[in-house]
Amino acid sequence: MKRTLKTLSILLAVLFVTSCNDLDLNYNPVQPVTVPSNQRLPAIQANLAYSLYSQARYTSFHSYYLTTRTGNSNAQTDTWNYNNITRMGAWRWHYFDVGSNIAGPAGMMLRAQEDGDNNYIGVGKILLAFSFLGATDVFGDMPFDEAYNGSFNPIYDSQEKIYENVERLLDEGINELQNVGESARSMNALSDVIYAGDYGKWISFAEAVRARLKLHTANFTNGYANLLTTVNTALGGFEDAMFVYPESSVSTWEKNLWGESRPSPEWQFADIRNDLLNTLPTDVLMKALTIDEATQQFDPRLYKLTTPGANNKYLGAQMSIGLNSANTNLPTGTTYQDFANLYNGYWTADNSPYPYMIKEELYFIKAEAAFYLNDMETALAAYKQGIEHNLRRLGVEEGQIINFMGSIRVVQNADDLEISDIMMQKWIALYLQAESWVDVRRYGYGTHAYPDMYYPRFALAEWGGRYIQRFVYDPQTEYVYNPKEIARLGAGARDWIFTPLWWVEKSNLKTP
Amino acid sequence: MKKTLHLLFAMLVLTSHTVFAQETTVRGVITSSEDGLPIIGATVKVDGTNIAASTDRNGSYEIKVSKGQTLNFSFIGMLSVSRIVGDEPTIDVVLDPDQQSMDEIVVTALGIERNKKNLTYSVQKVSGDDLRASNQGNILNGLQGQIAGAQISSSGGSPGLPTEIILRGSTTLTGDNQPLMIVDGIRVNNSSSNGTVNRVADINPEDIEDISILKGAAAAALYGIDAASGAIIITTKKGKEGVIQIGGSYKAFVETMGRLPRQQGIYTTGTGGTYDESSGSSWGRKFRYDEPIYNNVERFFQTALTHDANLNINGGSEKLQYYVSGGYRNAGSMVPNTEQDKINFLIKGTAQLSSKMSLTASANYIQNNIQEGLGGATAGGWINSILTYPLKYDILNYERPNGEPWYAYIEPEDDGRDARISPMWGVMRNPRNNNVDRFIVNGNLEYKPLDWMTLSYRLGQDYTASKYRTVVTPGTPGDFFEGRVNESNGNSRYVTSIFNATMQKDFLDDFNVALILGGSSDYYESAGLGYQAEDFLVPDIFSPNVVTKDGLILTETLTRRQRYAIYGDLSVSYKNLLTLAVTGRNDWTSTLSPQHRQFYSPSFSGSFTFSELINPDSWYGKLRASYARVGKDAPIYKTNTNLRQVATIGGGFVVDASGGNPDLKPERTSEFEIGTELSFLDRRLNVDLTYYERKSIDMIMTPRVPLPSGYVIMTFNAGSLKNNGVEASVNAIPIKTNDFMWSTTVNAWKNTSKMLEFAGDIVTFKYTNAQLNAGSAATTLDKHVLGIVGTDYKRTEEGYIVVDANGYPVIDGTEKDIGNREPEFNIGWLNKINYKNFNLSFLWDFRFGGDILNASRQRMMSVGTAYDIGQWRDKEFVFNGVVAQEDGSYVKNEKSAVLDYSYFANNYYQVGTNFVEKINWARIRFITLGYNLPQSLASRMGVQRLGLEFSTQNPFVITNYSGGDPEVNSAGPNAGGSGASTMGVDNGAIPLAKSFSFGLNITL
Repeated sequence: MKRTLKTLSILLAVLFVTSCNDLDLNYNPVQPVTVPSNQRLPAIQANLAYSLYSQARYTSFHSYYLTTRTGNSNAQTDTWNYNNITRMGAWRWHYFDVGSNIAGPAGMMLRAQEDGDNNYIGVGKILLAFSFLGATDVFGDMPFDEAYNGSFNPIYDSQEKIYENVERLLDEGINELQNVGESARSMNALSDVIYAGDYGKWISFAEAVRARLKLHTANFTNGYANLLTTVNTALGGFEDAMFVYPESSVSTWEKNLWGESRPSPEWQFADIRNDLLNTLPTDVLMKALTIDEATQQFDPRLYKLTTPGANNKYLGAQMSIGLNSANTNLPTGTTYQDFANLYNGYWTADNSPYPYMIKEELYFIKAEAAFYLNDMETALAAYKQGIEHNLRRLGVEEGQIINFMGSIRVVQNADDLEISDIMMQKWIALYLQAESWVDVRRYGYGTHAYPDMYYPRFALAEWGGRYIQRFVYDPQTEYVYNPKEIARLGAGARDWIFTPLWWVEKSNLKTP
Repeated sequence: MKKTLHLLFAMLVLTSHTVFAQETTVRGVITSSEDGLPIIGATVKVDGTNIAASTDRNGSYEIKVSKGQTLNFSFIGMLSVSRIVGDEPTIDVVLDPDQQSMDEIVVTALGIERNKKNLTYSVQKVSGDDLRASNQGNILNGLQGQIAGAQISSSGGSPGLPTEIILRGSTTLTGDNQPLMIVDGIRVNNSSSNGTVNRVADINPEDIEDISILKGAAAAALYGIDAASGAIIITTKKGKEGVIQIGGSYKAFVETMGRLPRQQGIYTTGTGGTYDESSGSSWGRKFRYDEPIYNNVERFFQTALTHDANLNINGGSEKLQYYVSGGYRNAGSMVPNTEQDKINFLIKGTAQLSSKMSLTASANYIQNNIQEGLGGATAGGWINSILTYPLKYDILNYERPNGEPWYAYIEPEDDGRDARISPMWGVMRNPRNNNVDRFIVNGNLEYKPLDWMTLSYRLGQDYTASKYRTVVTPGTPGDFFEGRVNESNGNSRYVTSIFNATMQKDFLDDFNVALILGGSSDYYESAGLGYQAEDFLVPDIFSPNVVTKDGLILTETLTRRQRYAIYGDLSVSYKNLLTLAVTGRNDWTSTLSPQHRQFYSPSFSGSFTFSELINPDSWYGKLRASYARVGKDAPIYKTNTNLRQVATIGGGFVVDASGGNPDLKPERTSEFEIGTELSFLDRRLNVDLTYYERKSIDMIMTPRVPLPSGYVIMTFNAGSLKNNGVEASVNAIPIKTNDFMWSTTVNAWKNTSKMLEFAGDIVTFKYTNAQLNAGSAATTLDKHVLGIVGTDYKRTEEGYIVVDANGYPVIDGTEKDIGNREPEFNIGWLNKINYKNFNLSFLWDFRFGGDILNASRQRMMSVGTAYDIGQWRDKEFVFNGVVAQEDGSYVKNEKSAVLDYSYFANNYYQVGTNFVEKINWARIRFITLGYNLPQSLASRMGVQRLGLEFSTQNPFVITNYSGGDPEVNSAGPNAGGSGASTMGVDNGAIPLAKSFSFGLNITL
């Protein structure tokens, strides 16, 4: 009996011990918790390109570059109705994929701080500032002070305050880059996909972002002179900030999101995938790129921004109508093949670079600032530089450049320069970029700046003729967790997106 | 074969025999005094020896015995009888039922068998036979309607789809609401990863002896950390002492589609009323008379055949009993290219090692391979592509004679990437496969050092090797035109190790004290390796071997969890009159931070058998009450944040979308339950009533969170909710004669839930996996938990719809709670009728109220294939509503409005209430008619018993639902691990099939 008990208890003890483990095993042994900054930055830069795309996916419709083929079919782009969307991708791309990877609770800056990599902190802050500027320009008020502190119901800061913080981040970033520590980990082409670790270029980029920011408010802050200084500083050392994709790759991760293969590297992309196949160029775009309709003479950039359609015709579709037969003013029997193909243009191929910011934008900022300072000669010169730089970028032949620069499409005389000339040329140069929507809204969609614009046929009657002004916050999270702030802002209303942003409200450019 | 087996086991049995001289052979028949029928499997034992025999199918026995020895006749539930052997060669015995042991024995927490009479909480038992009468491959489906308080809903009619079971309402908004699953004392895997079948469906229904359902926290309190949602305790059959019994069965099922959603067959493709070949939506002109219109939904589904064969052997001696079974099931499906191949093998034995020690061991091997043509997403959507496919194309036309895809519409510039193709292409060419090899081993050593004390140690492991694979054949329009194969291989195991000491002793004649002390360890590990390979270089080999290097992504996963617990259970009974019980359990878990990782779960309960006071023999009546508070830990690895590698240019690491939360606290559930059990007329009428109130506090959720927090998904303590309800189970035997018996059971229940508190400022919480445009599955503060949130029309204070000046109703932009997906009332009604050799059983299932969010219709509405569009499009209609006047008053709307595309797309489609339907149903779950061939005929055929069975499952449903079958659950039990219960959400659900079966049962 005793022996049996003893044997049994030993047996039990052995069995029990074999099935015992330490309780401290709630960590994932096959995934890292932290990696050095040089292994974080490239992914942040790739995500920033995605983030900018996630805004442009819709703003390119709202700024009248594109419209759907079928017309009256897409709630957001044709009827300006965002009430039934499940997610707003652009919110996530800014706050999580870009912002959290820089400054979040597990962001790059944490490790950079520990390791003394203040160069990565500098670039991180500049990228964060840039991302915040783009995000607030589509969303308006949003959390800044209480972002990344763990709160599920942070206070939304006013856009004005966010603008101040963006500038502060730019200053801090520039300061870090001007004082890179001896012990800082090196930054090179492997870890910095944009500028290969050239701090000077990053500082110029920061100034360019500052110029973009100042342009949005200069009209009501009397800031054009100041802006002109900033933009000149930026132009001093600026080089295009582009996220470049490889010439050819089979990986869906290594393609421009505007590309023909409609890349969708992760399921989160589903709601922001490009649909250019079922999209047509608008009549606004076609008019802007036409020199003489009768002779079918076009701006040479048309052939660079798009590829020929099957019928080699270049029609333009009305906003929100497309080919919707009952409402179109297009010739009977028009098909999508009578339009330019939107894929495989300079900005819309799988291997196109994705622009953060391009030099043309700075020329046109300079032109606009000088225009309002009544320095027409400077304005004209910058305007022409912008056009010419764009023609050259798109690979237009030298002969054609000379021809075009001398055509009626380009203002030759400073006295003839109108604001619409600057804005329309900027609009073409910034084809598909979200920044164009900022300009369009600053000018209140007005024909004094955008002569061919009109109110879309299928915008819902309940909007009462108002133009779309902003994106909704992410319905799946913000409206659920932060109902008090949403209520304070009034963002729960069906027509919330028709409420102007701070700098639109203040803008005195909306009417001529 | 039979002979060999007989010989083999006879040899085993013989080894323990002692042969006497002067033997005679005694024969006889043992019958029951209750009904006069022979008792099968009764034991005849020679007193003081190991010699024993069992009665056969006719109740006859024969045994070699010496004159003067005593024979003991015994059978479970009967009073034993002893006879001294004299000269007579025949001893027939009539056994009387033992009123004492007539009391039902039920299996409770930790596999402890208790007398239901003294039980202090509600436990419901479903016998293996009742389960099998339903003829369902998935045992959870077989339980439908048989348990009061269990809401069981399958995700649809395909063998690879999961079924969800919720006891007494849901306890959390994201994650698993399902009860703990225990098979023979060890925890088993019931996950449904990737939206595939819930893994308890692997268990062969043929092997099940019975199932105990511990509905409340008190019943399950000894499971502590897992007790919050109740527990399902499955006991498999075990070997019985006596003659070898060999049984076999074969069943064949024919399955056809059930109730289907309707479509319009009037308008062809296009937009704005004109024909457009390039458009995939059906908003074009009317079909011309010469254009074919295909009823694609009906054409898609087919008739399928299922075979199910089983064999089991059962027998043993006093020292060793065994049960061996094997099963094979080859199931077809009404969904094309869908089938299941399942093999079960179970061997189980109990050895009496000494008079005080016994060992039970079992091994269960399962292979379950399922191929499915329809692959949904985590949010369901199985047949959406079929519901929206234009009716001008034949869905069955999907490939060309050379096997290449046949595109219904393709633009000249397109290589097929953006073409339109019949959904049948995907079904036939891009199926998903889930292959499982599972091995459950279980050993239990029991030692009885004293007659009032039992020590037991159990060690078990449920090991599942699962392969999940999806293929996209090159040429398939869409993202993966060049082809893709995704595979994840996972090996998971649950290791359970339990030590129990059970002490039971009578004191002072009238007191019985039972004490259980124990400890357990529960380890879970899942290691996975998966790959995603794109762009096949060789188009007909679907392997990562034939893709370029940068088209290949590998992922390794490893999750682990360890839990320990110690517990005790003390119960004191006085004279069968009064029982009081206290349990306590302390858990330690690895999934919470050290400061939160241990918690205590107590329960208190009591029962009062008041019938003992007044004439206890004629009736039975008991009151019971219990209170329990149990804790629950968090999902694995939710306390810290990891980085994840990305494949973008330059590579590098990003923050994982799921952020860690080191402050997670355990979730707590407290439950109060009160009930009564009554029994009259010699136990021919039994009533069991229960009321419960359950509160879940600090429930742990893993939803999407505000992005400014820095994460996309996070686990946190999100609030509290309450469920309360009543359960009634009435069992009656209205007729009982020698030839005829009718037994009927009605299970009825109602559960009401309320969201009590949300963390932070949350008022309405939408479930990630069920947000379907105008309506979402969601929970709103102070409302029912399984709600629907969406928009409604603008209404006046009196409730009239406000109509605008153009005659169209006005949408109210504010979303609110517009539905409750939980049925208001449920009834399951099981009937069993025996007449001579015939037996018939059938189950009615009634559901009253509860809403469905009909997202399938919403989907069809957006592309123009919905039935109502055919009925109403372009017609003029005067909306029943009121128009606001300038002075603020309202007048009745008289203006007619045209129901055109813009109306449907921008008005009707945007309003959630248009897609919420309150439904009722009356349905037959199954009818099973069995017939046993007369004994004489059977023996002439060389078998002991031959039974025939005709059965039908889900033959009809009567319902007011406008869609397909109203049993819907779009995302299954725990979609992707973070989804919530989606019962009542119809998002392209595959309607339940109806089937008819024929079966054959043989006992050798």
